Amino acid sequence: MGLGLLASRAIRPFNSGSRFLLRTIVSKPELQSPESSAAAADASPEPDLPPRTPVGGARVHFTNPEDAIEVFVDGYPVKIPKGMTVLQACEVAGVDIPRFCYHSRLSIAGNCRMCLVEVEKSPKPVASCAMPALPGMKIKTDTPVAKKAREGVMEFLLMNHPLDCPICDQGGECDLQDQSMAFGSDRGRFTEMKRSVVDKNLGPLVKTVMTRCIQCTRCVRFASEVAGVQDLGILGRGSGEEIGTYVEKLMTSELSGNVIDICPVGALTSKPFAFKARNWELKGTETIDVTDAVGSNIRIDSRGPEVMRILPRLNEDINEEWISDKTRFCYDGLKRQRLNDPMIRGADGRFKVVSWRDALAIVAEVAHQVKPEEIVGIAGKLSDAESMMALKDFLNRMGSNNVWCEGTGTQPNADLRSGYIMNTSISGLEKADVFLLVGTQPRVEAAMVNARINKTVRANNAKVGYIGLETDFNYDCQHLGTGPNTLKEIAEGRHPFFSAISNAKNPVIIVGAGVFEREDKDAIFSVVETIAKKGNVVRPDWNGLNVLLHNAAQAAALDLGLVPESSNSIESAKFVYLMGADDVNLDKLPDDAFIVYQGHHGDRGVYRANVILPASAFSEKEGTYENTEGCAQQTLPAVPTVGDARDDWKTIRALSEVAGVRLPYDTLGGIRSRMRTVAPNLLQVDEREPATFGHSLKPEVAQKLNPAPFKSAVENFYMTDAITRASKIMAQCSASLLKK
Amino acid sequence: MSFTLRSVKVPPNSVNLEEARSRMFEFFRLACRSIPSIIDIYNLDEVVTKSQLRTTIAAQIRKNSQVTNPKVSFHFLFVFIFLIVIILQVIDMLLFKGMEELNNILEHAKQRHHMIGQYVTGQHGLVQDLDSKDQGMSDFLKNFYNTNYF
Amino acid sequence: MKKKKKNYKEEKQRRERERERERDGVDSGEERIEGDQRERSGYLLARAQRRRLLLTHCNYVFIMFFRRCLPDGNLLQTKLHNIGAKLVGVDKFGNKYYEKLGNTQYGRHRWVEYAEKSRYNASQVPAEWHGWLHFITDHTGDEASPILKYYLISCLLMLKPKRYGIEHKENLSGEGDEYIYHSKGHTLNPGQRDWSRYQPWQPTKAE
Repeated sequence: MGLGLLASRAIRPFNSGSRFLLRTIVSKPELQSPESSAAAADASPEPDLPPRTPVGGARVHFTNPEDAIEVFVDGYPVKIPKGMTVLQACEVAGVDIPRFCYHSRLSIAGNCRMCLVEVEKSPKPVASCAMPALPGMKIKTDTPVAKKAREGVMEFLLMNHPLDCPICDQGGECDLQDQSMAFGSDRGRFTEMKRSVVDKNLGPLVKTVMTRCIQCTRCVRFASEVAGVQDLGILGRGSGEEIGTYVEKLMTSELSGNVIDICPVGALTSKPFAFKARNWELKGTETIDVTDAVGSNIRIDSRGPEVMRILPRLNEDINEEWISDKTRFCYDGLKRQRLNDPMIRGADGRFKVVSWRDALAIVAEVAHQVKPEEIVGIAGKLSDAESMMALKDFLNRMGSNNVWCEGTGTQPNADLRSGYIMNTSISGLEKADVFLLVGTQPRVEAAMVNARINKTVRANNAKVGYIGLETDFNYDCQHLGTGPNTLKEIAEGRHPFFSAISNAKNPVIIVGAGVFEREDKDAIFSVVETIAKKGNVVRPDWNGLNVLLHNAAQAAALDLGLVPESSNSIESAKFVYLMGADDVNLDKLPDDAFIVYQGHHGDRGVYRANVILPASAFSEKEGTYENTEGCAQQTLPAVPTVGDARDDWKTIRALSEVAGVRLPYDTLGGIRSRMRTVAPNLLQVDEREPATFGHSLKPEVAQKLNPAPFKSAVENFYMTDAITRASKIMAQCSASLLKK
Repeated sequence: MSFTLRSVKVPPNSVNLEEARSRMFEFFRLACRSIPSIIDIYNLDEVVTKSQLRTTIAAQIRKNSQVTNPKVSFHFLFVFIFLIVIILQVIDMLLFKGMEELNNILEHAKQRHHMIGQYVTGQHGLVQDLDSKDQGMSDFLKNFYNTNYF
Repeated sequence: MKKKKKNYKEEKQRRERERERERDGVDSGEERIEGDQRERSGYLLARAQRRRLLLTHCNYVFIMFFRRCLPDGNLLQTKLHNIGAKLVGVDKFGNKYYEKLGNTQYGRHRWVEYAEKSRYNASQVPAEWHGWLHFITDHTGDEASPILKYYLISCLLMLKPKRYGIEHKENLSGEGDEYIYHSKGHTLNPGQRDWSRYQPWQPTKAE
């Protein structure tokens, strides 16, 4: 470029007098006559180029070595597979092409024109995102022609873009801001009026300032391709072009928050986050989401003691780069209804704040007064593996083995790991061609799994069959029936869907964890296993038999063996230790039972509690969570705990000492080495540990099928646990989006 | 009153322990005499009483009660080849620091929460019921009662 | 210092009481003046009433002159100045605004007699009269009243925004701690801000 600049200066006649009279088209002098300077640059000898590394660690995977073609990017030879676009070739070569409309996970639109590059022997600059790379293509990304093209495109984009960066929430993380700094002109020539566009109401989550929109159509493509809702679209042409819902309606998708991330400008921003903080003030903590069993990778952005927002983190195996709305917007629940002091219910039925010392002393005393078999411990759906381990150890030392995790039912099958995890793995679902969903609505139970199924349905034309109550899917789905009878028909080969399963290459059966709560769950599982056996679903190279869990704690709880000794222990319990368990049914509990609630929110669990021990939420502690596919991941503390709260495992460790049955670990490392002896897979962080033994080892069951239809396991997608129930945003969502 | 204190010059070093002792008592009395104005300046009347503050001052002085004999202590510091002898009069130095602190307090160089944090609730927070129960308690439990972060 | 504070409070209360009493006195006095005019226009009043009124008037004059004006030279001077001057208006606090053109030194031809007789200061003049009093404008404070606003469009005071313009308040510095402005984080601010970033669960709500 330096040479080109010199050359252009040398070539262009100096005419300083007329320079001021002529209004220059572009700001940079070397761009004034790009052709001549390009020629000059070409004439210069090829300099010794330093090696470049691909953008973002991009790697090329050749499925067929014969398909490899060679292109030249700025003189570098690059080997790429056939069918790659020019933009991808440039990324492999280590050149980051500016772009607005192109997104690697969406279809190619090619309408922003920002990615223009020069290709030799092409009369005009080409849009690299839409142009397939051809063998021997000579791509130039750094020539004056390319630069002039970008500068021109940028000028057109900025023509109608408001200059409201100081009050724009995207400010600081805006693609348009960054790229206009890097590639735009240093002055504007636009003196006319800017156009303005009416803002659209997309619901309580996404704020729109449509005047800022540059019509990249990323949101439209996201809504139709990933979220699977045909809500957004383009209206009008030219300067009248607008993004919007065709008729006035809200965006009813559980993934709608992702349009905030993909919007390259400030047109779609987060409504709850609006005007709350600037992105450079925030501290990012890379952690794990616990609102469902998927374990989406998230980044918690915090300012001081406050969680300001939650963003997705890239993990190709779990959540790609999307997260559900519940994950993204539940954070205001972390600031409301928090338990911050230990409390004891007095004789008058009112809670009184006490010190930790007194609270633990009372709990320990009561625990010793009851018989060991009358002690019951229930872990909540947000519990981490460490605290569940501590709870189980503590109760075992007290002489009780009645400890379980809510949502796993009274008689969970924890013996065979393949019986409760997603054996196919979430990313493995993409290879499937037939899905059978049994009593599960992945759209509300695990939105990210649903997004994978949607992706597979779109890519492979996979067939989906569903057994359960009538519900709406965002992909083509065949509703086979509502109850286990349909399942039986398939197992006996009487149902037409059986042929679809048996003819499929990679069939997948997903059983919802709601089945765990049914009395006849063993019978249902045996029928499902019959289908799997007959349909060749489980093979050495393919395991298509899955269970979709609901809660972040479930998989780890079953791995750690949190199984109650007797199924009706709650009816005779005198001392109940609820570790964040809010959704457990306590109706059958005797009235004189003493309930200890250890948790972070004043939710359903506290209303019968006698003692409240405040705990830290997932954003405040380090803990291991295992997701539904059996991948252990760890959260990291993003913000300090509130008030006088303590981490769950620390409370149990302290209580054990006060009760005289001291647990042998004092640190997180100590508790993890204890976990290693029980479930070593929980220490393989970020690695999916597949189940070792298949279903074939299971004994025969003699249970009878109950023809009652499968119930829907999740009533309200937006409010499933203590955090989301405390959240105002989630309440707004369920009020406005779940309206029938 | 703060200005009168400021005008008090740093006295020459104490000759012996007796003199240091009497100076210390003098300082204690001075501090006790300024308690009413301290309470007034920082609005402490609703959180602490005069006698409590007096106890705090006494406790601060008693904390250094082991500093008795070394009227003069020698600190030898080897810096390269030079031998520098620093003679520190420990009691006088502590006295001076106390005087400085008192001066700062009276000059309103601190804020109310500094006072509450340092002299009312003290270093260990409000919970200070350490008694015989704590004997035989593990470090974990002791830490647990104090904070979540250990 | 605490004692001083207490003194402040007592002083304050005393002053309040005094002010109240005075306000009543002043009001009756004014009524009296108006009453005179009414009498002149032939208004029926019993003689006894007249005598009582006269007595109150005398009492008022007595209080004004001997208890207030004599010890306070400013007030006396203002009262003397008022003779022959034109009463331009009275604001809503009862401050009287006088003007005397001719036979006065220029720049001293507008003045105010404060409603508050014992403890007056310049901050008691509301914003709408400030401009007139300080020769910024010739529009009086009354011209900002809604009746006249249709006639006087160029009036400075009509620019007072209706939505967020707050009521005039005198400067109460030195009147005691409760009148001093304390920032929202200050211990003495009655509405001291809660800086905690979370909302704790309230056990009483659950019951």
